[in-house]
Amino acid sequence: MSKNKLTTLKKVGSILFGIDTSGSDVLQDTEGLEKIVLVGNPNVGKSVIFNKLTGAYVTVSNYPGTTVEVSRGKGKIGNKQYEIIDTPGMYSLLCITEEEKVTRDLLLRESPKAVIHVIDAKNIQRMLPLTIQLLEADLPVILVLNIMDEAEKLGLKIDIDKLEQELNMPVISTIAALNKGVDLLKERVDKFVSVA
Amino acid sequence: MSALHNVTYDEIIEDSINEIVKILKYEYVLSKRSIALLLLQEDNDVIEMVKAQEKNNYIKIIDIINKAKKNYDKPLNYVIGTMRQNYVEIISNKVVTKNNNNEFGSSWLDTATMNPISGSIILILVLYFGLYKFVGQFGAGTVVDYIETNLFGAYINPWVNSLVNNHIPWTWLQNLIANDYGILTLAFRYAIAIVLPIVGAFFLIFSIIEDSGYLPRLAMLVDRLFKVIGLNGRAVIPMVLGFGCDTMATMVSRTLETKRERVLITLLLALTIPCSAQLGVIMALLSQEPKALLVWIAFMVFVFLFIGYLSSKVLPGEGAKFYMEVPPLRMPKITNVLSKTYTRMHWYFIEIIPLFIFASVLIWLGYLTGFFDLVLTALNPIVNAIGLPDELSKVFLFGFFRRDYGAAGLFDMRKSGLLNYRQLVVAASTLTLFVPCIAQFAMMIKERGAKTAFAMGAFIFVFSFIAGYILNLLLTTLGVLA
Repeated sequence: MSKNKLTTLKKVGSILFGIDTSGSDVLQDTEGLEKIVLVGNPNVGKSVIFNKLTGAYVTVSNYPGTTVEVSRGKGKIGNKQYEIIDTPGMYSLLCITEEEKVTRDLLLRESPKAVIHVIDAKNIQRMLPLTIQLLEADLPVILVLNIMDEAEKLGLKIDIDKLEQELNMPVISTIAALNKGVDLLKERVDKFVSVA
Repeated sequence: MSALHNVTYDEIIEDSINEIVKILKYEYVLSKRSIALLLLQEDNDVIEMVKAQEKNNYIKIIDIINKAKKNYDKPLNYVIGTMRQNYVEIISNKVVTKNNNNEFGSSWLDTATMNPISGSIILILVLYFGLYKFVGQFGAGTVVDYIETNLFGAYINPWVNSLVNNHIPWTWLQNLIANDYGILTLAFRYAIAIVLPIVGAFFLIFSIIEDSGYLPRLAMLVDRLFKVIGLNGRAVIPMVLGFGCDTMATMVSRTLETKRERVLITLLLALTIPCSAQLGVIMALLSQEPKALLVWIAFMVFVFLFIGYLSSKVLPGEGAKFYMEVPPLRMPKITNVLSKTYTRMHWYFIEIIPLFIFASVLIWLGYLTGFFDLVLTALNPIVNAIGLPDELSKVFLFGFFRRDYGAAGLFDMRKSGLLNYRQLVVAASTLTLFVPCIAQFAMMIKERGAKTAFAMGAFIFVFSFIAGYILNLLLTTLGVLA
């Protein structure tokens, strides 16, 4: 009760002073839920996938670096509710900028049930090193090759099954903006989490 | 997951990793292998963390790192990165096949937007049609005129005024709700009739530009210009976002790598970049007289370059390295553009309504207590010095509550024929430079610390009036826009 009051008060305050960044402000009670974190380079579609998984709306744009704060929302995967966390973009576990530190600290602190690494299928070579780093860290990683349509337009064919074998981890391809592959992603996350 | 573990790096690195892993006693959330790698790459935060946890054993780890370093003539960070990249290439060569016949249809446009010459032409076209024609003339001209004159001027305000003045016996309450500075007649009118149509038009254009992937290309284009003032193209991100909302942009300046860049951008945002609402209203004010608009643009660009260049000389530190991700051009999706415009307008609207009411109440209180008259009397000589009538003091005072509130006040004044074009340009320029709104100032304190924020605020206050004074002097002497 008092916690709700406090949140309302904070909200009113932030509106009055105009520092309400409602783009990243998803007010949902996610306490006590297991966590699923979205990570990846800037501008690969993390926020789109976040919106699809939670049904919330955070601003999505074709512009690297628009997400600077962590967004949290509730999402149902399988028969269970999870706290879904959208993070600012990161290039490497070796941090250079403050936003990357935000994401790494979050991984260190929150011990997520699954880490969904979203990459741009066109730039798989440039983005896989982070996947390797996440695997090295023994984090429960799932790889999502997003923006598959643009990769195909470029004439790239990616053998998902083979990539799964090579990396020995779940790999899913999506076109999240067109809602393609999102259901499969949910299915795989559900399976992955219940095995782990 | 373990399939990966022992194939990525060469023997020396793998041996060093294994040795460090043996020494690490504490359980970290990340695997010990990962911690060892971060140590070898000399990640400061991880080094600090391990130092605190492992105590004496830490010296042994340092020895291992130093021993490993001797084997390479490049930093370990680079060595490890390269090996990992090589490993990734082996994998991706196995899984990716490229069919070369297929290229991106938009690739010519891609290069055209980043080429200095054609890029500049495209930029001018985007600004002319997107901002000037659509936001300035259609949004701020046609739509505002209609709502202002036909709705508020003809119906709502007279109706509210007569209702309130006839049924409420107390003047103080009458003035709180209606008349010149009332919540309904001023705050709501500013919000709904002036600011909302302009901001709506701007958000629509901005969303289209944003979704097309044009902004990162703009960043590449402007990179050269920015290098002169010691910034890199990455700084264009907060800059361009600043045209949407300076408060958000100040927050986004976090993405810049060095403290020096962050301070520089915060200052430039507070001083020279008008926010969307302010920009829209100023566009609307000045589009009636293209010469006035050009003077304003030229003056703002000059101040931007001047201050940017000077502060890059004054602030210590090296110029930053350029790094920018350029996504492909995409056809904006209408549903996304619309929902984004709607969300932004909605967010903006629920944000400004209480603020405008708040400002109205403050102004009302200020008048009731006589405090505002004191401030206004103090401001009057300064405002007069830059060639503007007393009424403008109010606009500047409003401008501190919200940039757009001040600009809307200016709009109002222009309509009643109180200002000529020279005065209008001087007022618009000074107001653009003038202190950031309360929200942006709060964000500056949050991001840069109170000391820096207040120093910037004081500088901006003084600078904006000096600049206004010089501009007025120039225009009067040259006889432009008389």
